[in-house]
Amino acid sequence: MLNELAKIRDDALARLEKVETESELNELNTAILGRNGALTAILRTMGKLLAEERAQLGQAANAAKQQLAAAFDERKTAIAERAEARRIEAETIDVTLPGVVNIPAGKLSPLTVVYREIRDALIGLGFTTFEGPEIEYDDYNFTKLNLPLDHPARDMQDTFYVNDKVLLRTHTSPCEARALMTLKPPFRLVIPGRVFRVDEPDASHSPVFMQMEGLVVDRNLTFADLKGTIDTFVKAVFGENVKSRLRPSYFPFTEPSAEVDISCTICGGVGCSSCKGTGWMEIMGCGITNPHEIENCGLDPHEWKAFAFGVGVDRVACLKYGINDIRLLYEGDARFLRQL
Amino acid sequence: MKLPLKWLRDYVDYNVTHKEFVQRMLWRGFEVADIIPEMNVKNVYVCTITHIEQHPNAERLRVCAVDVGGEETLTIVTNATNVYEGCQVPVALDGAVLADGMEIKPTKMRGVISAGMFCGGAELGINDVEYEGAGNDSVLILNEAHPNGQRIQEAFGLDDVIFDIELTPNRPDCQSIIGICREAASALGQPFKEPMIEDVLGEGDAADYAKVTVLNPELCPRYCARVVTDLKIEPSPKWMQLRLKLVGLRPINNIVDITNYVLIEYGHPMHAFDLACVDEAHIVVRNAEEGEVITTLDGKERTMSADMLLIADPHKGVGIAGVMGGENSEITENTKATLFESAVFIPANIRKTTQKLRHSTDSSARFVKGVEKVNAEKAVNRAIELVNKLNAGRVIGNMIDVCSADLSEKHVRANIAHVNEILSTQLTGEKMCELLGSINIPAVTDGDGINITVPHFRTDIENGIETDWDIAEEVGRIYGYDNIEPTLMYGDTFQGKLGKEVVQEDTVKDTMVSLGFMELYNYNFTSPQEYDVLRIPKDDEKRLTVRLSNPFGEDQSLMRTTLLGGLLRTMEVNCNRKSGHGRFFEVGNVHFNNNADLPEERKLIGIMCFGEDEDFFTLKGAIEHLFSVIGIESARFSKGGGEYFHPGQKAIITIDGEQIGEMGTIHPAVQRSFGLSTRAYIAEMDFRRLCSHMAGIRKYKPLPKFPVVPRDIAIVVDKNVGAQEVIDVINSAKARVIIENAHVFDVYYPEKPGDKGIPEGKKSMAFSFELRSDERTLNDEDINQAMKAILKALKFRLDADLRS
Repeated sequence: MLNELAKIRDDALARLEKVETESELNELNTAILGRNGALTAILRTMGKLLAEERAQLGQAANAAKQQLAAAFDERKTAIAERAEARRIEAETIDVTLPGVVNIPAGKLSPLTVVYREIRDALIGLGFTTFEGPEIEYDDYNFTKLNLPLDHPARDMQDTFYVNDKVLLRTHTSPCEARALMTLKPPFRLVIPGRVFRVDEPDASHSPVFMQMEGLVVDRNLTFADLKGTIDTFVKAVFGENVKSRLRPSYFPFTEPSAEVDISCTICGGVGCSSCKGTGWMEIMGCGITNPHEIENCGLDPHEWKAFAFGVGVDRVACLKYGINDIRLLYEGDARFLRQL
Repeated sequence: MKLPLKWLRDYVDYNVTHKEFVQRMLWRGFEVADIIPEMNVKNVYVCTITHIEQHPNAERLRVCAVDVGGEETLTIVTNATNVYEGCQVPVALDGAVLADGMEIKPTKMRGVISAGMFCGGAELGINDVEYEGAGNDSVLILNEAHPNGQRIQEAFGLDDVIFDIELTPNRPDCQSIIGICREAASALGQPFKEPMIEDVLGEGDAADYAKVTVLNPELCPRYCARVVTDLKIEPSPKWMQLRLKLVGLRPINNIVDITNYVLIEYGHPMHAFDLACVDEAHIVVRNAEEGEVITTLDGKERTMSADMLLIADPHKGVGIAGVMGGENSEITENTKATLFESAVFIPANIRKTTQKLRHSTDSSARFVKGVEKVNAEKAVNRAIELVNKLNAGRVIGNMIDVCSADLSEKHVRANIAHVNEILSTQLTGEKMCELLGSINIPAVTDGDGINITVPHFRTDIENGIETDWDIAEEVGRIYGYDNIEPTLMYGDTFQGKLGKEVVQEDTVKDTMVSLGFMELYNYNFTSPQEYDVLRIPKDDEKRLTVRLSNPFGEDQSLMRTTLLGGLLRTMEVNCNRKSGHGRFFEVGNVHFNNNADLPEERKLIGIMCFGEDEDFFTLKGAIEHLFSVIGIESARFSKGGGEYFHPGQKAIITIDGEQIGEMGTIHPAVQRSFGLSTRAYIAEMDFRRLCSHMAGIRKYKPLPKFPVVPRDIAIVVDKNVGAQEVIDVINSAKARVIIENAHVFDVYYPEKPGDKGIPEGKKSMAFSFELRSDERTLNDEDINQAMKAILKALKFRLDADLRS
């Protein structure tokens, strides 16, 4: 019997060596250690043996059983490890293949991007946003701003009219009148919005465009403050190295008035084709608010001083992104929007 | 405004480079837009033809040896027949650019290399006015000796430039050579050599030759006139013709040229009438009669209205005031006597006239910007001086002057401290007076103020509240803006902030971008046809459009009331460019004509997607995602929406019972009208209403303390019952526990009746929801009771059965 037991054990261990899968392993396990397995069968015959023989065989059988169980476990772990290794091997990918995106890339319009940049630069200087309607009273758009009917400067801005008294605002400045009449000074406002001019669309003109205006009202504002504010603003929007200068100009709503030039963003001020060799680019208008405007809006121009500046968001966007045709901003061509 | 340097030199010593001049003028507020050479050619020189022989291979060509001042003799092949040995002609050499832009290079002509080309007046862009003989259609033979190799511009004395200067509307005085030279002199730091007009007394009294009556002095505050008889009408002298040409005017005859010359020089428009054609030699300035017709100098009939000012004689109109003279009284070669008119008309009236007649001239442009009454007198006397100088006729004494205007000098006083305060300068009164003096504004200080005698030409300096600002502007301009050190504002500090709506707009836009949408800015203009194309009913609110009175055209005559058209046009643009998929959105204003003074402005958000991977539900998913990001939890989508949508695929969006917009698949008919090959899915919502439901500061709600029990049910229900209806019933069932997060996860429409046991007209839907309590852990009893209540409610309200 002992010999038979040893043979079963050795035979099982030999077969185990050749087992490659978990199911083969289970099969073998059942054949040896199962209820009807070979080892179990031997144990069943033990009852017929003498007590002495039985104890001897029992001991040997248990030892064989433990030995086999350990061997089965070991084999099982090895098989699982091999299977995992094979799976991992099979799942290996080429990590250099392109990634997949399920959501396409959305984009803000360059107008919004630039608008936010300008706005946020001014917020940092203590300005607050203020908005007004796109369809506006002639009175607010012109008359209150020192541009009475038949003022020659009205021809500077070709206007879309709805009727004699109502028009599409030609600038964001009517909001100045609205602010001066309704808010309690002092205040600093940044006024964004769409404006309209009778300009046939071409590469540099659009009948609809976006303007932003800064308005500061306080007791002791000077032309020097205007210069300082403009310079800070220009550096915030265009970069620390960009210089600004104010040169005399004329706007009916400001006096003194100035055009703001910045050092050419293309050549840095040396002179190139973009700045017609001057090293400067005209970027916006500004000035000390005309006392007539302050008075027309119900404040005393000797008590309250103001200055204002207005910048074309479209123009800044075109400069910043090197866009050579303003119409692209209003066309909605995905190929254009995707680039910026 | 064109300023020929030649003319500038008459009044100012010009001693700087053009670049420096441009800079200095810029700092005075005058931008030089362009510098135009008098003669726009390059590399053209004087040469002498030393020898001519026949071309060996061409009968009509000749080979010339020319001396251009260098060591070498050059060879020029020409077909010109008028050149001869020993004559001097202009020659364009290698690299030359002619007036018409043509470039010259050495060329082989029938085997002989020609180093360049001889030029005539046409190639040089000149005619007899610039150089005698240049008008001939042949090579120009010089009629005076010049050194060979001299630049042709130098030889012709056409080496100067013309500055094209941009003027601001506050300086009408600078629409004249005199005015701009006054500023230039100051900018150059040179004295302004103001011309003195020689007083020509003449013989007799103009009043005996002509009479002027002004019937409407409000529109014509001054009318100056002088008379010249015994006219000799002939071409004006070359120097005058040349100057007129330099500023772009065509020489006509001596009398007309004089009026144009004075217009340019003094900036005051004048007119010369043939006095014989003015009945009774009586000029009457009056309003036109409604419908009165006059034929102007250009031969066109113009119909006047009663608000226009007419220059007439007792019987007929002879000119439209400030715009153009009449054909019936123009100067001809037979004119014997003339009346020079130099008048002041009110800008607003001339402006209206030019707008109504749709006709403006050099004269009307100046009247519209404003002319000045003292200058009117100067101008007419300058014209008389020129008549005398040109020996064009017999000057009659005295000026006829019908004047209701105040000609007295204007005095203003500015406060020194206040001017300094505006500019942030510390200038003394004396310094300010000196600066003003440099632009011919006399001023004296009186302690804390400066007293200014406003020169007649400075109509922009006013007496009143603005005086200190007017003077600050002039002082600052001359002192130099660049000399004012920038400062930062001081005083109260301000906390800058974004308005609530601005922040909301940022959030919404950023969310849309994160969902793959591209932002649009479409024009606000639209056409009446678009409303038909969009199938918008006649009585729909969207038809309450605002109409522009002066649009580009009918197709852009309305202000939009919806963003739909713009979105679909964007889709069209992209589909035409082979971009068959897209996600776009726009936040923009629309306007409704509500019969109030100002139209109602609404801000809308329009969202659109199209292409293979898109459908109604991808759009809805994007909107739901947006809502979830901005904290809107109670949005509902129910059947309905505009006619532009597919009748079976459209929904109205409401939040807390308020309708905020709609969405849907675009109607196939609309799709066809826009020429689109794929479907568009569009939503449009009222932006402000949407934002009003945005959670401001969100409050924390305690998390459930007791376990949540998830449950699924599948029901069979009428196929027209919406998932939302079922969810509403589940949520409101009297279950005595909390029911949350109910959502549909499966819908099954049987392919034919009876499939999977679902009868005709029905469908199956599966829902998942959660049950819980705030007080305790639910037991089986609680759950069974809740499920029973839910099923009972579904049966009762929707006739829904639990699917077996």
